[in-house]
Amino acid sequence: MKNFRSGAARFLGIEGVPILLAFTAVAIGFALAVPSFADGDSVKYYLNEEVPIFIITAGLALVIIAGGIDLSVGAVLGLSAGTSLWASMHGFNPLVSVLVGVGTGLVFGLINGLVIVKFRLSDFIVTLGTLNVAAGLLVVLTDHVQLVGTRDETFLGLASSSVGGLTSAMVLTVLVIVALHLVLVKTGIGRRIRASGMGSAPALVAGLDVGRLKIYAYLVSGGLAGFGGVLLAARLNSVQAGMAGGYELIAVAAAVLGGVSLAGGRGGIWQAALGALLLVTLKQGFRLMGVDPLIFSIITGVCILVGVIVDRGARRFALTLRTPQPVQAPAGELQPATSKGR
Amino acid sequence: MITLTPERVSPTTNERVSALRVRILRDPSFGILALLVVVCGVMAFTEPTFATAGNLTNIINAMMTVSFLAIGMTVVLIAGGLDLSVGSVMALSAGVVASCLNNGMPLAVAFVAALGVGAGIGLVNGLLITKLGIPDFIATLAMLGLAGGFLLYWTAGVPILGYMTDAYYYIGGLRQIAGPVTVPMLLVLAVGVAVSILLRRTTYGVKFYAVGSSPTGAKNAGIRVDRIKIAAYVISGLMAAIAGIHIAGRTTTVPPLIGNGYEISAIAAAVIGGASLFGGKGRVIGALVGALTLTLTRNIINLTGVESSWQAVVTGLVLILAVLANQAWSGIARSIGASRS
Repeated sequence: MKNFRSGAARFLGIEGVPILLAFTAVAIGFALAVPSFADGDSVKYYLNEEVPIFIITAGLALVIIAGGIDLSVGAVLGLSAGTSLWASMHGFNPLVSVLVGVGTGLVFGLINGLVIVKFRLSDFIVTLGTLNVAAGLLVVLTDHVQLVGTRDETFLGLASSSVGGLTSAMVLTVLVIVALHLVLVKTGIGRRIRASGMGSAPALVAGLDVGRLKIYAYLVSGGLAGFGGVLLAARLNSVQAGMAGGYELIAVAAAVLGGVSLAGGRGGIWQAALGALLLVTLKQGFRLMGVDPLIFSIITGVCILVGVIVDRGARRFALTLRTPQPVQAPAGELQPATSKGR
Repeated sequence: MITLTPERVSPTTNERVSALRVRILRDPSFGILALLVVVCGVMAFTEPTFATAGNLTNIINAMMTVSFLAIGMTVVLIAGGLDLSVGSVMALSAGVVASCLNNGMPLAVAFVAALGVGAGIGLVNGLLITKLGIPDFIATLAMLGLAGGFLLYWTAGVPILGYMTDAYYYIGGLRQIAGPVTVPMLLVLAVGVAVSILLRRTTYGVKFYAVGSSPTGAKNAGIRVDRIKIAAYVISGLMAAIAGIHIAGRTTTVPPLIGNGYEISAIAAAVIGGASLFGGKGRVIGALVGALTLTLTRNIINLTGVESSWQAVVTGLVLILAVLANQAWSGIARSIGASRS
């Protein structure tokens, strides 16, 4: 019995298993409750719609693993959608339009990283500021009306061509997630980024340039937000002010649900993507059940809280597993570092 | 906290100047205030409409909402926390007031309901952060989504209208009580003085500074750190509710997204006023100076004919610059302080 329990605990302790179980349970539940939920075309449709969420979640997860936070991802995604569509509408060729969009994201990522690292400012305040700047620039760019209608078929085809039964946007998203996962797990720089997120002091002792690694993470996050924006603009062929507002909340929730620890250093890209999958599936399921979609923001808020509380519980549980003979430790000892100074 | 004792017999001019220098260095809002005076002077000469009584009253009236939020945010920042939910809580409280009035309840009941919602959410924030150990900005970010989402879901995205009564026009500041004086002005003054006295003149208030500057030290000194932090979030929630009561009267409708972005203004105002994100620092008067700075910036943007769409961009930049200046300022103050003693 004890073996079974510790076996089950180990199984649950494997990264990604809890979120996978949660997603499976939710998907089966919806499939039973609403038969139309499991329809292949409708699944494809809603996943294609939510492509930007997956892409910014991947980037944000990398930043959180590197020990930071990026609240600007949603606004940067919206702005990049605007700049790339603007470029395409003004006759630039598709490649340039894509580069303009991704470039917008990279610039914001670079600014975020540089300001946070070089001036040692609090990461969420800086990215809250750039969130406002990006959202405001989109208002300026769209001039209070929406940008509509490029005739560049190649640009539009970027998101909606059919590749093996899936849309190109979905294929590109999967490629992004796989590539980022491999970079994080298989390459030296990925391992260094994770190490630097685990805690600055040990990483510094190991001779890592923590600041530079963090800037890389913000660059990737910004660039991916830009890329997500390009795909969104190509799919909708219209961009208006306020687009992608509040996406940062969904991305944070997705990453946290996927077991990416806000303390940094722990979690992975595909687990975060699974968190995003769970969230958008909840959204779709509730929509099919006729629940007002406006409730989604409440669900997202609850998911963030649940994710963080579970993460904390899991960390404590892991500590008790590691010490089979519990010593009488003072009550305060298991407290993780406070959020002070973040 | 050093207070200049009145018994000191006529300090020399040199002593006075250096005491002043120390105070200014300790308190960045002095520097900001000086900057504001200069900016206003320039504006008065270049823009004839700026220094008119009408425009100045406009500015004061426009800074009220952020002032309430910034006072609450300052209390939370002093206690070492951060509250991202203030904009959403303000919007939700405004919605509660409006719908209570629409359902025929008296003004007092509607206000109590709104204040209850604000204090309740503040309490939940505080409990999540202290008892469950969730990082401040994540707990309040989730609450931002929850409170905002609840208002959106509840109103189905449709603005609440038709709740204005005669008395409410006064509370919103749309009608003056005497000369240019409006109810919100008196309310900000009253709330500001009350919180200021609480923070600077009571033992209870000193605990907020203690908890913010060193939670461990405060705990060792026998302060119940969790309770102080929870109290700070409750105060912030109450301030957001007051701001909600006020803004519902000022705008005469409550669109569900009315609070969007206010958390940024509130943080920026508090930080401009000298509150530190690392806790233990901040003053009510600073928060008001910060709110004035933000409102003046917007007013100047409008008057100089810059398109209003740039406002959000400027607010974002002001936030980052304020944090940057705050950090630089304390660095300078520290190095001068070190070389002096």
